[in-house]
Amino acid sequence: MPIVNDGLQREFEWVTRPGEQKHISEALDLADEVMQEIAYQLIIGKNLEVDRLTKECLDNGYTANHILDHGLLNGMAIVGVKFRDNVIFVPEVLVAARAMKAGMTHIEPILSASGIEPIGTVIMGTVKGDLHDIGKNLCIMMLRGAGWTVHDLGVDTSPEEFADAVMEFEAQVVGMSALLTTTMPNMGRTISYFEDIGLRDEVRIMVGGAPVTREFADEMGADGYGENAVDCVETASDLLQLQKELA
Amino acid sequence: MPSTKYAGTLTSKERTLRALRGEPVDRPPVTNPTNVATVELMDLVEAPFPTANRDPEMNARLAATGYTQLGFDAIAPYFSIIQESSALGCEMQWEGKDNWPTVRMTRPIWKTVDDIKMPDGFLDHPDNWTIIESIRLLKQEFGDEVAIVGKTMGPWTLAYHVFGVEPFLLATVDDPPMVMDMLHRLKQFTIEFGLAQIEAGADVLTLPDHATGDLVSGEYYRRFLMDLHHEFVEDLPVPIMLHICGATTDRMPYIATTGMAAFHYDSKNDPQESMDAVDGGINLVGNINNPVTLYSKGPEEVRAEVFKNLDAGVQLIAPECAIPLKTKLENLLEIPRAVEDWAAEHWDYSEN
Repeated sequence: MPIVNDGLQREFEWVTRPGEQKHISEALDLADEVMQEIAYQLIIGKNLEVDRLTKECLDNGYTANHILDHGLLNGMAIVGVKFRDNVIFVPEVLVAARAMKAGMTHIEPILSASGIEPIGTVIMGTVKGDLHDIGKNLCIMMLRGAGWTVHDLGVDTSPEEFADAVMEFEAQVVGMSALLTTTMPNMGRTISYFEDIGLRDEVRIMVGGAPVTREFADEMGADGYGENAVDCVETASDLLQLQKELA
Repeated sequence: MPSTKYAGTLTSKERTLRALRGEPVDRPPVTNPTNVATVELMDLVEAPFPTANRDPEMNARLAATGYTQLGFDAIAPYFSIIQESSALGCEMQWEGKDNWPTVRMTRPIWKTVDDIKMPDGFLDHPDNWTIIESIRLLKQEFGDEVAIVGKTMGPWTLAYHVFGVEPFLLATVDDPPMVMDMLHRLKQFTIEFGLAQIEAGADVLTLPDHATGDLVSGEYYRRFLMDLHHEFVEDLPVPIMLHICGATTDRMPYIATTGMAAFHYDSKNDPQESMDAVDGGINLVGNINNPVTLYSKGPEEVRAEVFKNLDAGVQLIAPECAIPLKTKLENLLEIPRAVEDWAAEHWDYSEN
């Protein structure tokens, strides 16, 4: 159905790239009035509303998948576009993420029990010596919303911890974050460690963080670079495809 | 306004202070609002991290290399952003020689505005005391020739440290008046530590307050910080260099109204666009890129960035932020060399 929610219509107007307009518009066509309301409440960060609506919808017979695909993820898609285009910043994304989490609290146990296959598995962590995690956490939230299984190793993560997690969870992608110029080289050291132990070809590696650039990522030998959390999801998907082609 | 030429030779101290006051200089000064210590310099003067952060003599010895070895026009005796937060009780990760000590922001110490209280012995805490004593030592040895730059953290950055980044940023949406109250109360630490450093001999203060475009909008800066930063000009009677990392061009017009002496800006902002954004309202300091240019390129690339800043009219030249600790000395030495060469070519010294 067309967008009937006035708030959501206003939010959709921030989506200006033709390809994205088409993609999100087609997704919203499948969202009824209540799914549009969930999407809108998520965008404006109303976690209590998203919590209530999600619970109500499940009680009224909507499936968990339906609410995730047509309500929560439609909202996050617009949040992602607004964040990338500097319409909103981290505080606004954090309140949207909190609202997403409120909905996922009801949905996640149902999805886990139903045995639906995730898109892929990614290991995320901030590199050794670096205690910053906000950017990494935003990436994780977006990746989970997009259907990935994410294992979060937290901050101050050693090369050995990254490698152990890849082997334990059979991950296809590793994401490393750094905020300090002193710790950025630890991305390269982690990649070298993967080479040393013969694990490099088994996994694709992406990097990001405020001071990290594509040029730096290339120099370190990373497979991908994400400028922001939206980019991170796209990069992970591209790398997964690449990994499948190489397998 | 771009720097104008002074007909004579100035000491590093005079050069820095004159530039910060918007007065003519013999050449644009090279300064260091944030850390320029490197592992090589630590080895040279036997003052390694983490000890150099907590021992005043070692701290002063390492800080002085910014002037004695690199030829910068200022000495800054702090190498990290942990002092005040450590004194307030935040948990530290001290790291080793090749990394800065860091506040464990994922383990915040306070939850509400009522938790904000001045602890007993705030200035006597080893991390604050080290900086204050180091400034005294540097003032005695170099006070006449080079500008001594102190540093006091602004309330926005302190809020990240004591409340945690995520809880604090969520609060800015959930309860803006409470956040304003928080910032006003946190201001006392900025002033207390700043005044102690001025009393010890600091000629200039860097005031980092990371309301960066990587996290928040320019509108946030206007709404939460612009007036507070204006108040610091009254509270701290030396030239203040505000430091904010990341993309900040959108908030530079607001920063330019604060009355601070300079804004230390990041390489994510184009020098000419930044000069246009501040429109003569504040001096700019910056913005030689750290992770790519200073860390992994060579002197030619450093020189090109120095020239780009000077061509745009940027008044004081500096690395964009605290430099990677394994930055090559040849790249740092190139900064003052490039400034001197640029000034020799562009400023007519025959009038002197």
